[in-house]
Amino acid sequence: MARTIAIVEDDPDQRANYADAITKKGYRVFAFASRQEALAGFDEALPDLVILDIILGEEVDAGFQLCRDLLARAPSLPVIFLTERINEIDKISGLRLGAWDYLAKPISLDYLAERISSLLRISEVRAEQGDARLSATARRIGDLTLDQEALLASWKGQRLDLSGTEFRMLAKLVRAPGHAVSYETLMNATMQSLVTNNTINTHMRNIRKKFEKIDKDFAAIKSEYGYGYRWSSDV
Amino acid sequence: MKLLRRFRGPRLGTKIMLLGLLLLVVPWFSYRQLMEMERLLIQGQSNAQLLTAEGISTLFNGREDLFDDLPVTFEEFENLYVHTLQNPIRLDGRADDWDEATRGRRLAFGSDSGDRDGDFTVLLGERAGQLYVHMEVVDRTRVFRSPDHLRLDSSDHVRVSYIRPDGDDGRIAIVFGAPGVITAYEMTADWRYAQTGTPNTQLQGVMEETPDGLRIEFRMPLAQMGSSRYFGLAYADVADPAAREIRRITQTLPTAGKESFNLVVLRSPEVLNIIQGLGYAGARILVIDPQLRVRAETGTDLAVSNDADEDSAFDRLLGWFGAAGDWLAGRFGAEPADPRLRIAEDAEATAANVIASALQGEPIALRRRLGERQEVIMAAHPIVSRDRVIGTIVVEQNTSEILSFQRAALEQVIWVSLLSIFAVLIALLAFSARLAWRIRNLRRDANSAIDPYGRLRAATLRHELRAGDELGDLARSVSNMLARLQQHNTFLENMPRTLRHEINNPLNVLSTSLQNITAEHPELEDSKYLESARRGLLRIGSIVQNLADAANLEDALAAEELERVDLRELLENYVANCALTHANTRFEFSGPDHPVYAMVSDYRIEQLLDKIIDNAVDFHRANSPIKVHLETWRDFLQITVANRGPTLPPRAEKSLFDSMVSHRAPENRLHFGLGLYVVRVIAEYHGGFARAANLADGSGVAIMVQLPIARPAGAREAEGPVDATPVDMNGAVSPAGGSGSP
Repeated sequence: MARTIAIVEDDPDQRANYADAITKKGYRVFAFASRQEALAGFDEALPDLVILDIILGEEVDAGFQLCRDLLARAPSLPVIFLTERINEIDKISGLRLGAWDYLAKPISLDYLAERISSLLRISEVRAEQGDARLSATARRIGDLTLDQEALLASWKGQRLDLSGTEFRMLAKLVRAPGHAVSYETLMNATMQSLVTNNTINTHMRNIRKKFEKIDKDFAAIKSEYGYGYRWSSDV
Repeated sequence: MKLLRRFRGPRLGTKIMLLGLLLLVVPWFSYRQLMEMERLLIQGQSNAQLLTAEGISTLFNGREDLFDDLPVTFEEFENLYVHTLQNPIRLDGRADDWDEATRGRRLAFGSDSGDRDGDFTVLLGERAGQLYVHMEVVDRTRVFRSPDHLRLDSSDHVRVSYIRPDGDDGRIAIVFGAPGVITAYEMTADWRYAQTGTPNTQLQGVMEETPDGLRIEFRMPLAQMGSSRYFGLAYADVADPAAREIRRITQTLPTAGKESFNLVVLRSPEVLNIIQGLGYAGARILVIDPQLRVRAETGTDLAVSNDADEDSAFDRLLGWFGAAGDWLAGRFGAEPADPRLRIAEDAEATAANVIASALQGEPIALRRRLGERQEVIMAAHPIVSRDRVIGTIVVEQNTSEILSFQRAALEQVIWVSLLSIFAVLIALLAFSARLAWRIRNLRRDANSAIDPYGRLRAATLRHELRAGDELGDLARSVSNMLARLQQHNTFLENMPRTLRHEINNPLNVLSTSLQNITAEHPELEDSKYLESARRGLLRIGSIVQNLADAANLEDALAAEELERVDLRELLENYVANCALTHANTRFEFSGPDHPVYAMVSDYRIEQLLDKIIDNAVDFHRANSPIKVHLETWRDFLQITVANRGPTLPPRAEKSLFDSMVSHRAPENRLHFGLGLYVVRVIAEYHGGFARAANLADGSGVAIMVQLPIARPAGAREAEGPVDATPVDMNGAVSPAGGSGSP
């Protein structure tokens, strides 16, 4: 049975485009234009994954409210924010609410589909296993283990809580350890259309911090100033 | 010259003080007013005197009889002038109690040389109905009356001749046996024997010996003489004490054989009776006949004692005022035309003038000086009888009352003026100081409300907002302005965000639509139109993104954490990587051989370098290297990126780092001038600054960023030269044009 995806987006063109693209990927799509509509829809049946815009018509925080409502009903429901509000503060509050990802417009539809499938997969894995364990497909680079299937990574045996984008960037970085990876390559890895060096830097910093949370002396991600990053685990 | 050009005018305080000096016209006007008042008073006084004189003269009009008691001519008489004495006289032989003015007018008789025995000088005075006589006789051989020779003419004696009221001749001999009290006897016609045996006690006096002779001072009642006033004096000199013969008689009689009397010119008692009681303080009334004889006189001495000598500084001040007044009057106004207001210097001439004029029938009043600082107004009015002037009344009064009044008033005016000027100047000083202080505060506030880059730092002023005056209004309206400006600024600052926000949705529609089209029609994948549509989309997206980034930069920076980073390593690494990203350009790095630590956010420094290098690459001349140089001073480090190429236009150094300022040619690719703005904001966030300058040799441009060096304990860093302006291409520049530092 096809998975159901709910899209809440007030702009009819975007809504239609998302719906079309996602439907093509084989999902069942419910599209809502407003919070009220969406709530009514969710009363009937909860989808497997929800894509939320934050501003819906006149309500500037409708997406956040919806997210709160949804997660109150189903705490494990994957929620993706897809919005033009890309200020840091919005991002943080979105993720704090419990959203699984926060994507900025304009978005690549392929990437969106990718995110949907991986989040669904993660959700599935989590639902099945309860706790995260690395699958057999995991790849090891020194102390780092990457599970491409489940988008799970661990460092020295401890799980890293990376977002999808971060996981992809890390995967790109460690593909050739010791070699510098350019910003451009890393930008492609994010699969977002408008990425600046700063975005990469911000992601990299977040990744580093997540490593450092596990391992204070983590220093495998090196900056190649003016060019990109390099993974060198042999330090 | 430079100072002069920078001088735009006096400060507020100076201006107010200068205006305050205008107060000096107050004493000046007061002085003028007092002068005017003095003029009026003097005019009033002279008019009053004239009126008095006129009034008195009417008493005498037609009274020729009063003036007829004296012969009109003096051919056969010599006048013995009798002076009115002010002081009581002690009969002691000495003349020092006589009035000073009188003392100088001794009448001399005898030989021309005045030193023969028997020559004498005489003073005549009148007081309280008594005739006073003071004689000084030259007599080296004095023969006094001795008991052996009782005849009155056998010793030196004085003969007094007069006509009694009954018309008979009166003869009195004054004899003396020794210095001391004298004795007077009425004599028979031959001057040999006394008429009666008893002395005349109404004539009293003393005799004193002097080295050269005698001094005799005596008085006799005027009542003994009739109104005809015939009076004569003679000194009979006896030289030989044995023979006791009269050797010589010196007399006041003009010629022997004529009447043996002189005319004693006395004040006419009748006239005096009339004017007596008319005199008043400080005033003197004289009745003068056409022969210029004073016929009557009443009143007090005109001279008023001067008690103002101690106030010399004040007098000098008055003198200045007077001098300034005269100078100004001479410059702007004519001398007062009224002769009554002019002070005549020559007192005698003035008096003569006045009397002469009055005797010709013209009433007149003039001022004359009396002593150093006093003056007198003389008013004269003729006495007329049957169209003939038979005399004149002169009323003299000194102006001391006016002068002392004027003086006191002037003094008061000057003190009050000085005090008030002082007080007002102090008040003005305080006021202007406070005003200047308030304005300075306001200026500081207004200055600091906007930073050097024109950004609003405060939306309101801190001072003067509650002040009720115009400064308060100004502060409020400036605050108001700032608030509105801030609103506008906020709008402008939010514009890129709003723009991105608003553009992102349609952009997303476009983007997703394009993607759906390609998905639906895979055959379009290779369409160049689709490709260019995608590129355009990307471009719009990045523009909006850049704008928003720049706008958010400062907010974003505030969230950055600073780490201790070795900038030398960072730069080395960066420049090495530049070769990868900019394949066609050569980069050269030079720097110290030791780590240079600074507290920075390495991504932001990287971003900063990105922008500078982008800039340098865009402007560098092909095949010339871009040089990156790091140097350190005691407290800061400097990153210099120099490229050969076009130089900066003049005055571009300052605006170069402003937002939205681009000095690129218009045909250059879409550029918003955000690059160097980002450089500046990042440098400033790290506590440093950025500047641009042309290379010293004019071959290109250098962008310099100075950052503070981190200096944790134990870290050792070499100290570089202190001079921060090297000259050559090796990371070295001199500021082009004005100062390079912001």
